[in-house]
Amino acid sequence: MVDLLTELVMGTTPIVTEETRPFWDATVNEELHVQVCDECGARQLPGGPCCSRCWSMTFHWERASGRGQVFSYTIVRHAFHPAFADDVPYVVADVELDEGPILTTNVTDCPVQAVRIDMEVEVHFAQEVNDPFGSLLRLPLFRPIA
Amino acid sequence: MSIGYETAVVGVGNTKFGKVAGVSAWRHQVEAVQLALADAGLSKADLDGLFTESQFTEPLLLHGHVLGQMLGIKPAYLSTCSIGGATAISLVQQAAMAIHHGLCNVAVCVYGDNPKTGFPALFGKVQMGRGQADSLAFGMAGGPVMEARSAMRYKHDYGVTDEMFGAVPIAFREHASRNPNAQYRDLLSMQDYLGSRMISDPLRMLDCCIGASDGAVAVVVTSEQRSADCRKRPVYIAGFGAANNLDGLSDPTHYTSFAGKRSSSTAYEMAGLGPDDVRVAQWYDCFTSTVLITIEDYGFTGKGEAGPFALEGNLTLRGRLPSNTSGGMLSEANLTGWNALAEGVRQVRGESTSQVDNASVCVVSGHGGFQASHATLLLTEATG
Repeated sequence: MVDLLTELVMGTTPIVTEETRPFWDATVNEELHVQVCDECGARQLPGGPCCSRCWSMTFHWERASGRGQVFSYTIVRHAFHPAFADDVPYVVADVELDEGPILTTNVTDCPVQAVRIDMEVEVHFAQEVNDPFGSLLRLPLFRPIA
Repeated sequence: MSIGYETAVVGVGNTKFGKVAGVSAWRHQVEAVQLALADAGLSKADLDGLFTESQFTEPLLLHGHVLGQMLGIKPAYLSTCSIGGATAISLVQQAAMAIHHGLCNVAVCVYGDNPKTGFPALFGKVQMGRGQADSLAFGMAGGPVMEARSAMRYKHDYGVTDEMFGAVPIAFREHASRNPNAQYRDLLSMQDYLGSRMISDPLRMLDCCIGASDGAVAVVVTSEQRSADCRKRPVYIAGFGAANNLDGLSDPTHYTSFAGKRSSSTAYEMAGLGPDDVRVAQWYDCFTSTVLITIEDYGFTGKGEAGPFALEGNLTLRGRLPSNTSGGMLSEANLTGWNALAEGVRQVRGESTSQVDNASVCVVSGHGGFQASHATLLLTEATG
């Protein structure tokens, strides 16, 4: 219980919820999925209880290409959270997927100073981890398209 | 009937800011409330509205209940609000509305915390919300990491230089140097700015507000009618506005322009004023980029022109728009926008340590909640 409470306050692993489970389940198979509204066709991330555009409660999840462009980014040089002390410097980027939604993620597999706005990137997946309640997931990371 | 000019700030109080060992967050809050009421020439018996923001060291859903109990009051109206950095301004707006509609007569808005010497601030996954906190996994931890992506895109799209960012903390520090309650008072040079450590590109240490401050601010709000009987000259709440871009950085248009555009336009309309009437500004200065983008959103310059405007010295007392005249969160204290509110009142009264001549109209902005929420206050010396 104490471990769980510590994780809820200090942890960094996503918590899989009713709204985000299809997204995280797909990552275990190294697939990136987006929520698609059955009524108006809007695509969104993160998953929500309804379409944020038309409020339809019916939607499905669709596999995305896994490609996109860096809309913006930062090189994090100071670890504000102790979990990232060994990771600095690292890149937090907002990747605009070819399907539309913007995903906050990391750009890896290149020097941090090589990252640029509008850089073409593709998804890859980190090692499998458990969320605090035992659900499996793999973080979707991005790297430059060679 | 419009609510513009119908209410006024009649009291302001603050405790010592910075590193204040041995004083609890609650004691800071109580002291600020007492000082603000005394400043107004009012007492505990007059107080019938309490508007609070919880301290981060004890993030309580029912914060106002606890503080009100400690103060031994039975207010008619009670509200505890949390919309990030826009909370201070939002609470003053709520107080003005409650007073205007007769739900209370004398309201105190208050915030105080002691993260510098007390408990650590508790703001983790639980507060961010299940499912909404997923970006923490990618190291999106800490305010600078959030704001840096906006700053990066802003520099990219508008050719904003490092020196333009640097002009902001240099100007605010000049103001702080005259404020004995400011946490940082040594003057800064451009060399100091450019040499300051990169935290989260393109934000350097000196682009970021103070990490933690102990202290508290309270203001007293009452009706225009009642304000005439108070100890000091009233500062009228001429206009206010609010707007929320709740999808934040999920929307590509929200990186280089904020909800402040809508919020300020509502406030200008309510007050019958425009940017040309504003003599002094207290910006929510969590980061330098936030200040520059907000100056554009509020119509003081065209898009992408706030950087050159700052570099020309316009944010100092010698410029067109003296800003953050107490030093702001960049130099005075990080009271999540509450110190900007206090300074706005003091400017209009003529009580600032960096007083602007004829500070007849002051604008105060609140901004936060992961770049989403914005609130605007127009304070004036004259009734409408």
